Amino acid sequence: MTVGLDRRCSMGDFVAGIADGTHLALAGFAISRNAVAFAHELVRAGRRHLTVTQVIGGLETDLLAAAGAVDTLTYGGGSLDRYGPLHGVNQAALGGSLTLVEYSALALTLRLHAGALGLPFIATRSMLGSDLASAPTDRGEVRAGENPFDGAPCLIMSPLRPDVAVVHVDAADKAGNAAITGPTWSIPETARAARSLAVVAEEIVKVGDIDPSNVDIPAAIVDAVIPAPRGAYPTAVYGHYDYDGAHLQMYVDAGASGPAGLAAYLERWVYGTASFDEYLLRAVA
Amino acid sequence: MTPGVTWTRGEMLAVAGSLQVRDGDVTVVGLGLPQVCGFLARRTHAPSVRLLLEIGAFEPDPTESAMGIADPRMWEGSTAFGSLLEVLGVMLHGQRVSLGLLGALEVDQWGSLNTTEIVAEDGTRRRFRGSGGGNDISSSAERTVIIMTHQPRKFASTLAFLTSPGRRVDGRSRPELGLTGEGPTAIVTDRAVIALGASGATLESVHPGEDPDAVVAATPIPLAVPAGGPAETPSPTRFQLDLIRSRLDPKRWYTG
Repeated sequence: MTVGLDRRCSMGDFVAGIADGTHLALAGFAISRNAVAFAHELVRAGRRHLTVTQVIGGLETDLLAAAGAVDTLTYGGGSLDRYGPLHGVNQAALGGSLTLVEYSALALTLRLHAGALGLPFIATRSMLGSDLASAPTDRGEVRAGENPFDGAPCLIMSPLRPDVAVVHVDAADKAGNAAITGPTWSIPETARAARSLAVVAEEIVKVGDIDPSNVDIPAAIVDAVIPAPRGAYPTAVYGHYDYDGAHLQMYVDAGASGPAGLAAYLERWVYGTASFDEYLLRAVA
Repeated sequence: MTPGVTWTRGEMLAVAGSLQVRDGDVTVVGLGLPQVCGFLARRTHAPSVRLLLEIGAFEPDPTESAMGIADPRMWEGSTAFGSLLEVLGVMLHGQRVSLGLLGALEVDQWGSLNTTEIVAEDGTRRRFRGSGGGNDISSSAERTVIIMTHQPRKFASTLAFLTSPGRRVDGRSRPELGLTGEGPTAIVTDRAVIALGASGATLESVHPGEDPDAVVAATPIPLAVPAGGPAETPSPTRFQLDLIRSRLDPKRWYTG
């Protein structure tokens, strides 16, 4: 058995290494598999001026936006499914403190894919003719062009390489080989696009315990392995636990009452707890 | 109309929407009513339709009401799990999807959709969930069908934000824009079926009990009416209603 590298670190130590202004890539999707433990720790640490890229926004995104930690969010939309909209994101955007750059889900995934592969650019027909193309064009991230082979219109997109990606996985070994069950949406491209990747794991297993055929993220691209059982709570992790609908509804209701409601939620559940474990104990009590 | 059978507007919409699905369609469905339409079609006239969810679930067959596309209940019974790049990339952008079923906040006469934000008369902006895979489906599916409740404010000749392109945008055709597929072929509401074609929108049928003139008045986009008047949409059958009530939307979230 290979001894290999040990990339384990605590959530606190990992967040201490993330500077203000970092470009983060997140990989939760609405009410599933959000890196909530990570978002809490970032908020408690008072990080500011983050850029966040996420194909579909969810609770983690909204917590960071509600805390005023994010200057720019590039996303393909998002919600908390039927529980409600991303009030934190929407309020910050409408209030002018957050710049929203909206893509289609596929177009943003393709930009991450191009970043992962080191492609000079990638082309698509998504977003052509829509208002979605305007903001990314103004920002110099995409441009209307034509297929060099047949002259047809296409949208030429630059590759996207965030600084740090944080992905919640089912299991990881200490080197970082990680497994995910269920649908994987844009997790593969998000994890691979970033210059640095942290996997937050429900469970740490021995090297070799994950059958190589089942490794979704190879240790070769992983920089940190962070143990966080129930770290996606109150969002769901397929095969491990369901979302907590009552807690999500409480969060949405707090957001519906405006920025003060979200501030009160953060005060009670994030700033008012010393650790994610304390939050879990209080929330499920 | 079968004597004694009654239905809600939402049930009528689900049934009329399901009739737009053809057997053999490969379909990407959005959450909510589009999903009810897709599952209903599969259990009635289109048993070989293949339903895909952008999150990476192939042919799900859920038995419980799901809170959304990211609710694991929604993925139950899937024949395969994959990624968004497999569903929206390989299947959809790869030209393997024949039908997209989409909801909308706002639609224009060419079937372009807004799912991003609404601007009220006083200038207040309200943001919604955004594109997700909606723009991708509109850009690449062979055809799309729009499923929505019928409110005059949802029809606009100029959208507050054009999230997903329809048959024409600013006078330009889909090939001129670089888009593939025919685009939207129908807007199905809880009052009527509006066909979309090369010349624009036509009131194809009104649902049982609806007055065509009232429907036209409640549809503030250019809307042609056939010379003999619109047809009547087929009434829901007892079998369709039983399926909706017992299996597809037992909590009545979409069809109540």
